[in-house]
Amino acid sequence: MKETKVGIVSCSGEECLGGTISRLATRKVLEKLRMGETVTICLPLFIAGGEEERLFAKVFPTIAVDGCSKLCAMRATEKYSGKVNAVINVAEILGEEIALSELVSLKELPENYEEMVDKVANEICRKIDKIISDILTKEALEELESEGKSSGGCCCGSC
Amino acid sequence: MSKVVVIPCSGMGKVYGLIAREAALKVVRELKKDEAETKCLAYLVTGDEEIKNYMQGKKCITIDGCPKMCAAKNAKEAGAEVIEELKSIEFAKEKRAMKPGTATNLNEEGWGVVDYIADKIVEIIDKMEVK
Ligand code: SF4
Ligand code: SF4
Repeated sequence: MKETKVGIVSCSGEECLGGTISRLATRKVLEKLRMGETVTICLPLFIAGGEEERLFAKVFPTIAVDGCSKLCAMRATEKYSGKVNAVINVAEILGEEIALSELVSLKELPENYEEMVDKVANEICRKIDKIISDILTKEALEELESEGKSSGGCCCGSC
Repeated sequence: MSKVVVIPCSGMGKVYGLIAREAALKVVRELKKDEAETKCLAYLVTGDEEIKNYMQGKKCITIDGCPKMCAAKNAKEAGAEVIEELKSIEFAKEKRAMKPGTATNLNEEGWGVVDYIADKIVEIIDKMEVK
């Protein structure tokens, strides 16, 4: 089995709470919940960086994490790098009113912000697990198929 | 005079990206509410007509977390007039604050650099107003 890392691109938007939660949830997944299984990239590098940065979504199965329904991380990634495998919209998870609140700085976060971060982070983890399990299933099927072909017989193992 | 747009890079993997972000937010939400604003950098990156039209010729101060200068480059690409390209790491060096926290959270040193950068931005805006 090849080692698979999942890429996470967060919008980290500066105009609303959804952007901050997208950032904090992504950091939590990278640092704690799925450390070693995930990688990230600074989204504005798609323009400011070079070819290597723009290959990101082609090299890694990628999840875009967006703070609101403008879905900037998803759209920018697909425009400059490649198709994303999944999208998380914080506004869908927490509700528009909360996501569009103007409390953006770490100093202004509402009391229950950790709950919000956890909700979004858990959703990111669900998507990561699904992507990895899909890849493993595909690899296993390909292996079975090639074994079946090389032995010239059925691959069910019982006949 | 239309508001100055302060754009941080908010780099996801670097503490200096977070410092840039918090400094910009301090200016637009506390120190210069009436004179400055910010726009989501990721929105600029999408290249949408709406934000490009908005940014056209706008005076802009950018703060970047590393030499890639993402905020400055993207603001220019969107059509803004970037009047200052600040680098948060330079301010951290000036303050001798080389352990300011992580890309997730800042410590006291880090918040000190945020305040320092925010004050510099206020100085820049004040000078613009005098002109
Ligand atoms: S998705 Fe929303 S919060 Fe995120 S960068 Fe775009 S406009 Fe800002
Ligand atoms: S300037 Fe550096 S830290 Fe900031 S977004 Fe770009 S690559 Fe990331």
